[in-house]
Amino acid sequence: MKLLYLLKEGFKNIWTNRMMSLASVIVLMSCLIITGAASLVSVNVSLLVSKIGDDNQITVYLDYELSDLESIKLGSKLSGVNNIDTYRFYSKDEAIKQYEKVLGNIYESMQGDGNPFGNAYKVRLKDLSKYKQTVEQISKIKGVSSVSDRSDIAGKLTKLNYFVTIVGSWVVLILAIVTLFIISNTIKMTMYTRRHEISIMKSVGATNSFIRVPFIIEAMVIGLTSGLLASTVICSVYMPIRNAAATEITGFIGDATYTVGEIMLPTYVIMSVIGMVIGLLGGYISITRYLKKEGGEIFGW
Amino acid sequence: MKYVKNDTAVKLCPGKERKETMIHLENVSKVYPNGTEALKNISLDIENGDFVFVVGSSGAGKSTFLKLLIREEKASFGKIKVSGYDLMKIRRRKIPYLRRKMGIVFQDFRLIEKMSVYDNVAFAMRVIGTPERQIKKRVKEVLKLVGLSGKEKRRPNELSGGEQQRVSLARALVNKPEMIIADEPTGNIDPAMSFDIMKLLAEINESGTTVIVVTHEHDLVKEFGGRIITITDGEITKDENYPTKHRTKSIKKAEADAS
Repeated sequence: MKLLYLLKEGFKNIWTNRMMSLASVIVLMSCLIITGAASLVSVNVSLLVSKIGDDNQITVYLDYELSDLESIKLGSKLSGVNNIDTYRFYSKDEAIKQYEKVLGNIYESMQGDGNPFGNAYKVRLKDLSKYKQTVEQISKIKGVSSVSDRSDIAGKLTKLNYFVTIVGSWVVLILAIVTLFIISNTIKMTMYTRRHEISIMKSVGATNSFIRVPFIIEAMVIGLTSGLLASTVICSVYMPIRNAAATEITGFIGDATYTVGEIMLPTYVIMSVIGMVIGLLGGYISITRYLKKEGGEIFGW
Repeated sequence: MKYVKNDTAVKLCPGKERKETMIHLENVSKVYPNGTEALKNISLDIENGDFVFVVGSSGAGKSTFLKLLIREEKASFGKIKVSGYDLMKIRRRKIPYLRRKMGIVFQDFRLIEKMSVYDNVAFAMRVIGTPERQIKKRVKEVLKLVGLSGKEKRRPNELSGGEQQRVSLARALVNKPEMIIADEPTGNIDPAMSFDIMKLLAEINESGTTVIVVTHEHDLVKEFGGRIITITDGEITKDENYPTKHRTKSIKKAEADAS
């Protein structure tokens, strides 16, 4: 009964101070969107880096002039390289077949001698830390034209990941403090507008926790609403941004980032919880400070 | 000046034995942080069921006296006991429970404008967690007692000053407090209404509730009579009993018996 009354009071406060509540929801939501976006960039870059790390397959392109037989024979030389785990012959026919749909009518003319690709090997490494040396060793084999080398991208992405994590953490921390400040200010203002009521409550013997609960509920509801709205905004813009990034930069990004389905539930849950926790903390801090005031002091804020 | 307790005040309450001291102050002083000595070495006892006026000019220390009783301020020195609570040692979280034993009436009524008369009174019960069914019954009773039956749905701004003070009084009474503390209850209302409010307070006292009225309206106090404590410059300069008037028949009879 008592809890129901307090809950009702909390919701009533939001409606009574609706303009202030709306303002805090908007500001809090904006902060949460930036925080959420920073976090999402960070987790996606981490995923990208780890996927590149996992993808330890490199392609060894052979000289164009090398016949099929010579190419197959070259495989025995590859087996002599220590760090190679497995290798698979990847013929030029197999390579051109991948582009069958794209090429359409001209595909037929690109068979046999018309094939612009040379033969290749798909090689998996045992130890990624020896990536560079192994690539160099393979490049020296006679008949090898070039070796696909992603170590550069991997290095850059690792740096980017580090940067995004550090910057992201700072952004999240600063925004968390800002949001905490905003919500505690909102509650402080709500308390100021209701100081009359609070002083009456105190004079008739309401306990501090009784006075506190509706304000905390109000702050938590504002936090929750902001969290839910911010999640909705993030999830709605995530897919178009991800798709744009995939087409504009490289098709690879599309596969190495989270889909909207994967991020939706965690985003909603985490953002709502963060919103509520910020509400709880911000509300609690401001209320506890002001509940120490008595009678005339309350009016003299 | 040291106060020597006067027994006549107790006899004003008919049919009631003196059970316990409701308020006990012993050598109480209050010095504010800015150095102002608002109360100087005050000692007094107020018994259960007393009706006491505390008078004095503005700045004499009346408000500080009240603030000490409701523990809005803590005394700098001395001993204060109110309704069994030692106010020098009381923990902050216990203060609400002390205040539940009191009904406080303010000069400016302190009603919540957006609430109806009913809700203003019910509010005092809600904040201490009383079930709604009990609230409904009790608020009806109290509003009848203060003469506001039928005005439950009105907002405070639709009422006269006297009526607003009655609402405030109803709110103070609704939790059946042991004492009513009224701070200048007639300060914002016209003389005729003031008289009615004082009469109401006297009736409340007759039912056994201790009533302490702080006022600077000497004329009204003398008109009503009873125990009158005068504070001047932070000290009790007088503590006397005047003949009571305008009391109900039972009180007058008790006074007659006592004399």
